[in-house]
Amino acid sequence: MSILIDNFDLFANGLLGTIRLCLLAAVGSLLLGGLIAAFRVSPLPPLRALGTGYVTVFRNMPLTVVMFLSAFGLPPLGVNEASFLNVPGLNFLIPQLGNNAFFRFALIAIVLYTSAFVCEALRAGINAVPTGQAEAARSLGLTFTQNLRNVVLPQAWKFAVVPIGSVIIAMIKNSAIAGSFGVAGDLMYTSDVLVSQEGLPLLPVFLGLSGGYLLLTIPLGLFLDAVERRRAATIR
Amino acid sequence: MPEPLIELNAVNKWFGSLHVLRDVNLTVDRGEVVVVIGPSGSGKSTLCRAINRLETINSGTIIFDGKPLPEEGKQLARLRSEVGMVFQSFNLFSHLTILENVTLGPIKVRRESKAVAKERAMKLLDRVGIGNQADKHPGQLSGGQQQRAAIARALAMQPKAMLFDEPTSALDPEMVGEVLDVMTSLAVEGMTMIVVTHEMGFARHAAKRVVFMADGELVEQAPPAEFFDNPRSERARDFLSKVLQH
Amino acid sequence: MRFKRMTAIAAVAVVAFGTASCAKKDEPAAPTSKFAAGTTMDRIAKAGKFNVGTKWDQPLFGLKGLAKAPEGFDVEIVKIIAAELGIKDDKVHYEETVSKVREDFISSGRVDMIVATYTINDARKEKISFAGPYYEAGQDILVAKDDTTITGPEIFKTDATKKVCSVTGSTPAKKIAEYATAPGQVVLFDVYTKCLDALKNKQVAAVTTDNVILMGYVSKEPDKFKVLGKPFTKEPYGIGVKKDDKVFRDWINDIIEKAFADGRYKAAWDKTVGAIAPMPKEIKVNRY
Ligand SMILES: Nc1ncnc2c1ncn2[C@@H]1O[C@H](COP(=O)(O)OP(=O)(O)O)[C@@H](O)[C@H]1O
Ligand SMILES: [Mg+2]
Repeated sequence: MSILIDNFDLFANGLLGTIRLCLLAAVGSLLLGGLIAAFRVSPLPPLRALGTGYVTVFRNMPLTVVMFLSAFGLPPLGVNEASFLNVPGLNFLIPQLGNNAFFRFALIAIVLYTSAFVCEALRAGINAVPTGQAEAARSLGLTFTQNLRNVVLPQAWKFAVVPIGSVIIAMIKNSAIAGSFGVAGDLMYTSDVLVSQEGLPLLPVFLGLSGGYLLLTIPLGLFLDAVERRRAATIR
Repeated sequence: MPEPLIELNAVNKWFGSLHVLRDVNLTVDRGEVVVVIGPSGSGKSTLCRAINRLETINSGTIIFDGKPLPEEGKQLARLRSEVGMVFQSFNLFSHLTILENVTLGPIKVRRESKAVAKERAMKLLDRVGIGNQADKHPGQLSGGQQQRAAIARALAMQPKAMLFDEPTSALDPEMVGEVLDVMTSLAVEGMTMIVVTHEMGFARHAAKRVVFMADGELVEQAPPAEFFDNPRSERARDFLSKVLQH
Repeated sequence: MRFKRMTAIAAVAVVAFGTASCAKKDEPAAPTSKFAAGTTMDRIAKAGKFNVGTKWDQPLFGLKGLAKAPEGFDVEIVKIIAAELGIKDDKVHYEETVSKVREDFISSGRVDMIVATYTINDARKEKISFAGPYYEAGQDILVAKDDTTITGPEIFKTDATKKVCSVTGSTPAKKIAEYATAPGQVVLFDVYTKCLDALKNKQVAAVTTDNVILMGYVSKEPDKFKVLGKPFTKEPYGIGVKKDDKVFRDWINDIIEKAFADGRYKAAWDKTVGAIAPMPKEIKVNRY
């Protein structure tokens, strides 16, 4: 226990590192996942094929492999440093975004991987919206994107929010492997350093590590339960 | 001088191997009210849906307001905005208020200002008798009120024609009248309407023509009095005898 | 991870089963040993089974391919000690001890000793004890074969654009951080192979860790990499045993000295690291 208290600031820093990574990854995954879901339900067959292909590839590949391909496969393809993610302003809040190419590659990998699951959760939500809703919108003359934005997604969201939350919880846990791919300063990395560099005993450090992840995932889980309950109360 | 607004020429539609529209020819003039009747599964809904291209056709042509139906994209969206559609199951947007349901099209499709859209929406809601329900959600309204809201939603686009696909079939009997009243007043005002319905009373007094469909074919068409009193085809006689018994 | 543990359990089961059946056939009498009762040597010799931790991913020292047991200089040292205990090579049970589990594996008794490119230091000595050193490595730098710009660790001070790679939580990672000036200049992965991938991609300019490990990678791809050959730290490799098991530790030290004198050490060296680096001229075990 005293080990956890003595190294509280390190754990707190690690937690902050994980929060930063996960925040970016969650936003990215929701945006990309939304786009891919739009592709999958679009009236244009090439877009649908693209969406389906994307999900098939990234949902079925282990995250480690995606990480590997991102960190070491993208540079030979010309995405040398993934500097497009070095967004001014954002890199001030999240310094690694600016100074660590491997943070950017890990971010890309987590987003690519997670958005496949976000897409499917969202698509399940879209499918749960009665077809008559989209038909009524079309008959008014709304375009595909207007239909999606104003009619389908606001309703799909209600069905999708809990599954998407579960995807994000899984993502937070998955983010632990970023430490193995050159992301310094997250929870997993911090524990690694404490154990093998500082020589602290394994068990208490990993207790602290688990505690850090639980601190992020349990409140999210409780929040989702609450959302679920509220929804169950309104859908009679 | 009658002037055609909707023209279907030799329209065919298959669902897989099922031939649901067989060489359908139909012309609806401006201001004309046509009632379509026929047994279940005869293709009435498909006919309506084909006219605003919720369903694509396999052969033949459909001309609306002098122009063939556009394929996809913006043109198609514009066509749809000019043809109002009312569904059997209302299909009001369940996450929006009644007012928002009615203003969504004008604001998003016609790019009208919120104020203008709202003003017309309120007039329409008053007209169909549910102005006081504007801020409620669809789930809080009765079926008849919902269907009247759906009619107001379609009218808000100021369409050139209205398609009704069994608008009263999902309603409790005591609510049928209030919806038919709204439709009748529209007919009187000269709206071009295609109405799929089994409400013979409405057909008799509001329609200029009754079209009888069976097995995807347009079997016969005639003014309502003539059709109901003296149907020519065996299938129409058969159908009417069954429907009028109840 | 789970798969590894399962294979480990399976391996233990196989070994245990093998020992039991042997005991039935060949040794009906209670096992005896030449060691004083109560010593670790006595316990191991009587058990007829030797649990040892090595690395499984470090070329030249402890590398496990498809073979049953790992191979390398560390493994040869294990075999010398096992022979002295009267344990045959096939009765040595190897466990993979990655850096972060080494102390716990010894304290918990899961392994009897660890020979795993294990640097002796004071922090570790608080939890376990070390025999040896049996070899003194030193941190060095590996670069692309045609690179002439990197001459030593000081370059990372003067040129912040040059990135250097190592493994999270390792001693070399901590050391090289002293030379880095820009955030993100030191890139850390969980294994060195990723560092090498990054180097091939020119995502980093150099990889740093103990020289012997670097030479292992050079031996695999000599036309791609080279080691500078200027170690800038002293990394005495020790043999980890249970804390305060001075008898066992001293006994191992005796064997190391004996093996160095009688040529067994040289044979072990020549068989493994010899192709790439000259054998140490002397070794000085530390009997604390
Ligand atoms: N989307 C569809 N896919 C396959 N068959 C359909 C589809 N929609 C309608 N049908 C079939 O086409 C025929 C005509 O249907 P419909 O136009 O709904 O008839 P009606 O409205 O006259 O009852 C029916 O046999 C129906 O089962
Ligand atoms: Mg129908």
